[in-house]
Amino acid sequence: MQTPVTIPVPVLRLPRGPDGFSRGFAPDGRRAPLRPEVPEIQKCPIAQESLEFQEQRARAALRERYLRSLLAMVGHQVSFTLHEGVRVAAHFGATDLDVANFYVSQLQTPIGVQAEALLRCSDIISYTFKP
Amino acid sequence: MAMRQTPLTCSGHTRPVVDLAFSGITPYGYFLISACKDGKPMLRQGDTGDWIGTFLGHKGAVWGATLNKDATKAATAAADFTAKVWDAVSGDELMTLAHKHIVKTVDFTQDSNYLLTGGQDQLLRIYDLNKPEAEPKEISGHTSGIKKALWCSEDKQILSADDKTVRLWDHATMTEVKSLNFNMSVSSMEYIPEGEILVITYGRSIAFHSAVSLDPIKSFEAPATINSASLHPEKEFLVAGGEDFKLYKYDYNSGEELESYKGHFGPIHCVRFSPDGELYASGSEDGTLRLWQTVVGKTYGLWKCVLPEEDSGELAKPKIGFPETTEEEIEEIASENSDCIYPSAPDVKA
Repeated sequence: MQTPVTIPVPVLRLPRGPDGFSRGFAPDGRRAPLRPEVPEIQKCPIAQESLEFQEQRARAALRERYLRSLLAMVGHQVSFTLHEGVRVAAHFGATDLDVANFYVSQLQTPIGVQAEALLRCSDIISYTFKP
Repeated sequence: MAMRQTPLTCSGHTRPVVDLAFSGITPYGYFLISACKDGKPMLRQGDTGDWIGTFLGHKGAVWGATLNKDATKAATAAADFTAKVWDAVSGDELMTLAHKHIVKTVDFTQDSNYLLTGGQDQLLRIYDLNKPEAEPKEISGHTSGIKKALWCSEDKQILSADDKTVRLWDHATMTEVKSLNFNMSVSSMEYIPEGEILVITYGRSIAFHSAVSLDPIKSFEAPATINSASLHPEKEFLVAGGEDFKLYKYDYNSGEELESYKGHFGPIHCVRFSPDGELYASGSEDGTLRLWQTVVGKTYGLWKCVLPEEDSGELAKPKIGFPETTEEEIEEIASENSDCIYPSAPDVKA
């Protein structure tokens, strides 16, 4: 029996999700003209703004460092500390986009060696490796 | 070459999405608000699903959410016994309206001057948003928790649904005009002003009634328990979703089932057509919202119709075209010649 061949409708990109660090409603967003004029009653808005930018930059730098650390881990032996005092070691492969899962190979578990495995981030308390 | 529906998944919520609403069409497009049990309702651009902001302030699950017509205000109903009114441009909380029990439903009048609320205390309340300190007007009569309350007939009447009844009230006299009884729990209600149609779901039934007289017009049976249904603005189609995780699309005139779509990983709690009818959104127990095209393959929002001969040079990135797939679909994909990237189902994170 032939099933009709169908192509999924192409999309330009996926919908953007929350940025993860703010509640959104960008002050310079598309609907900025609709914002009411708010009198500046808080202390020195410029100093506050630079503090915000500083924090932003710090967060971006920390994030970049973390992502680079993940890249550096590829192919290396990593030791994971999981719940209930369980420790396992494996060769690190990759994480997924949200860093919700760690793809590893040669996972040494108390009940044997698993050739390929996915470790859920929520199950991992900490991990360590030597570059 | 036939096109297959590519739903757009909007992630961000961490608990079930229980209600969603579109605004009207504004000079900035239209918008979508979602109510979630994580207590953080979100505002999104309606045609793309792009997140705009999260309304922070509720201390419990948000059961109902709505936008006013021009999407300048939002209202939410929550398990923390309050309804809140928000500035939908800045995200700031404008008003907190205290209730005596869980609030389930909120609705603005056309002019955004009044807010209707209803909830577990079985009372309908009408707040004058220009006088937030004033006591609301109350309408009693329901004998079980109110699940949905809507203004109708140009805000001259009110429709409200509790577990087993749907009631029509006159706004001016605050008295009941008519009621409908059901022997099954009413799961959802939608009001279509053009044509004064009321869409009610209960059990596996999707029923259409006159919003003026409550007289039945027609009804359809779905293959599974339906939690929500929506009628297309031009009344050509209706979509419905429920406990079997699927979305069903029916021809409104003939009742014929046109399509069914898998994709959600949990029961569907709410489904609504956009104000222009070009897409519909579904909210699910799986914590996601999904946007679906009414006409599959049309260029609209993030969906781009690309003909096979067309040079894809204009799209700088490779085409991302895969929805969450089922087992049958994976075989099809393997045999297709494409450079599409398969987006993994995003894990919903806090």
